[in-house]
Amino acid sequence: MKKHPMLKYLKEEGPAGPRLPLIMCPGCGAGQVLNYALHAVDTLLQEDALRKEDFVFISGVGCSSRLASHYLNFDSGWTLHGRALSVATGALLANPRLRIVVLTGDGDAAAIGGNHFIHTCRRNMDMTILCMNNGLYGMTGGQVAPTTPIGKTTTTTPYGNVEDEFDLCRLAQTAGATYVARWTTAHPHQVIKSIIKGVRKKGTAFIEILSQCPVHLKTSPVEMFRNMKKITVPLKKSAAGPVEGKIPVGEFCDIKKPDWIERYQNIMDQLSE
Amino acid sequence: MSNNEILKPGVYYLQGAQACFEGAIMAGCRVYAGYPITPATEIMEHAAHRLPRLGGRFIQMEDEISSASVLVGASWAGAKAMTATSSPGFSLMQEVISFAIMTETPLVIVDVQRPGPGQGYITTGQEDVMQARWGHHGEGSIIALSPASVQDMFEFTIEAFNLAERWRTPVLVMAEETVAHMRERLIVPPLDTIPIVNRTKPQDMGIASEHYLPYGHAQVPPMATWGEGYNINHVSLVHHEDGNVTRYSPTVHVENVARIHRKIEGNVDAIARIETRELEGCRHVLICYGSVSRTGIEAVLEARAERGIPIGFIRLHTLWPFPEKQLRDLLPDVDVIFVPEMNLGMMAHPIMEALRDRCRRMVSIPSLGSLHSPEMILARIYEELQ
Repeated sequence: MKKHPMLKYLKEEGPAGPRLPLIMCPGCGAGQVLNYALHAVDTLLQEDALRKEDFVFISGVGCSSRLASHYLNFDSGWTLHGRALSVATGALLANPRLRIVVLTGDGDAAAIGGNHFIHTCRRNMDMTILCMNNGLYGMTGGQVAPTTPIGKTTTTTPYGNVEDEFDLCRLAQTAGATYVARWTTAHPHQVIKSIIKGVRKKGTAFIEILSQCPVHLKTSPVEMFRNMKKITVPLKKSAAGPVEGKIPVGEFCDIKKPDWIERYQNIMDQLSE
Repeated sequence: MSNNEILKPGVYYLQGAQACFEGAIMAGCRVYAGYPITPATEIMEHAAHRLPRLGGRFIQMEDEISSASVLVGASWAGAKAMTATSSPGFSLMQEVISFAIMTETPLVIVDVQRPGPGQGYITTGQEDVMQARWGHHGEGSIIALSPASVQDMFEFTIEAFNLAERWRTPVLVMAEETVAHMRERLIVPPLDTIPIVNRTKPQDMGIASEHYLPYGHAQVPPMATWGEGYNINHVSLVHHEDGNVTRYSPTVHVENVARIHRKIEGNVDAIARIETRELEGCRHVLICYGSVSRTGIEAVLEARAERGIPIGFIRLHTLWPFPEKQLRDLLPDVDVIFVPEMNLGMMAHPIMEALRDRCRRMVSIPSLGSLHSPEMILARIYEELQ
């Protein structure tokens, strides 16, 4: 049987037993995002002067963060809930040559890690953040998240969610990230292109990927996947104003600005003269 | 002191906070992340001033949790990293301390203790000594040192890095406001007399990446650095030697956690240090640590000189792992053990546990929010022994 071309980047076997298949539920979007991320890395390894050991995958805690929990045949760290961006910051301070890809979720990045998220973008730390947004806490059984639409019932909002939802892309852009994009799992080519752009971008690249959780939303994965295109609208079409009931997707910003390391390096260079 | 190099051998007049970070520089620390808090801020200000001149990087983070998390990432990427905080910030760092124990991540945290609870006050205290050992969740041993002088702030910080690298674990320097703000003489010895320990990497043991087990090979596993092709995955869920978390079993759990526990608690003699004076023929003993040992020794010498009381002196340089065996080996049967502490009697508990069959009774001498005077300790000794 022909192997999936991305399996070369995964640890299939280890002394303690097989690591595949992934622990993700059937139909989960996280596996798709991993596939897209590895495709992007594959392209970068071919086209750019990068080695496999230059990449580090860092995650926090939650379903999406399980992607960096020993499956990857790369340097990786499965860190604390919400703190992946701070761990990534530390790695950059020690070795700015590393190309860091953070795998996170909406709860991990926007709730428990919200403050770190804002300040990482503000500092323009050179990393690529892939945020899988399924609109709820999946691993703990489907609780409300800062990204859950108003009115939605979850296990902790049994009578409906009374809170407004966060727009993570607007938040990242306002806080100072240099590249911000939103896609869905149903936009594979756009996601891969954005990740390549993000890794090449000096500074914080934030890419939100709307990702289906068929288990907790009790919907068939195929239906959810088809819906991804229906519930979204290209950013350009919503430029004049929000399109009722539709989530804008596309590139929110793509600007040039020195990152933290570059600014600090300038000071280091001046002091050593 | 030249700004662009490490301290040269010689005599300096420094604040404890400065001596602390000079020790860190000497040990090879090149990443500092922190959040301002009184009375620890002088350490971070000194780090901010010194690091960029030495090829290192300093960052002020948004809180203490992220500060400690930065150390984890920096350590995995190959740097020696530290932070300093004070008691309320130390509470916030417990999450990361537990994580660093489980992932066997070398890093150094200095807690310049202030009294609590809550905001408490910004004076001095030793109220976090139990939190140092038991504050983090889960069964995880810790190494914690207790400096008493500016010289100690320099030397113990170097030792903290050496222990962190040697045992692949977080190490705490449980300083107090008293020692961090104190100014006195620091003697930097010839540099070749200062031992510097660096972590063992798989390359040092001739282990190729395809055979590398991030949590295997030895009781203290060799640690690969990110970027060197070892595909290391750091994980804090219960794991096999290769970092795999699938196929959970109680056996795997016990092996994983028990090894991490044993590497500290099974090597107390190699890790912990105590200092003794006047123990020969003593009938009573005063056991203390940190800046209290400065007034403690004065009280002991005074009691011996003034009233001929045969009282000895023991100072714990290492609070955790608790040096129980060393204490029992050194201490003969005594009548009364005095334990002055800047809390209501915290280390008195493990001391009592270790020595309950070696003494008639133990007397705790508490002081909250300020350092004991020698007279205060002396009065309690006289009261007990009259």
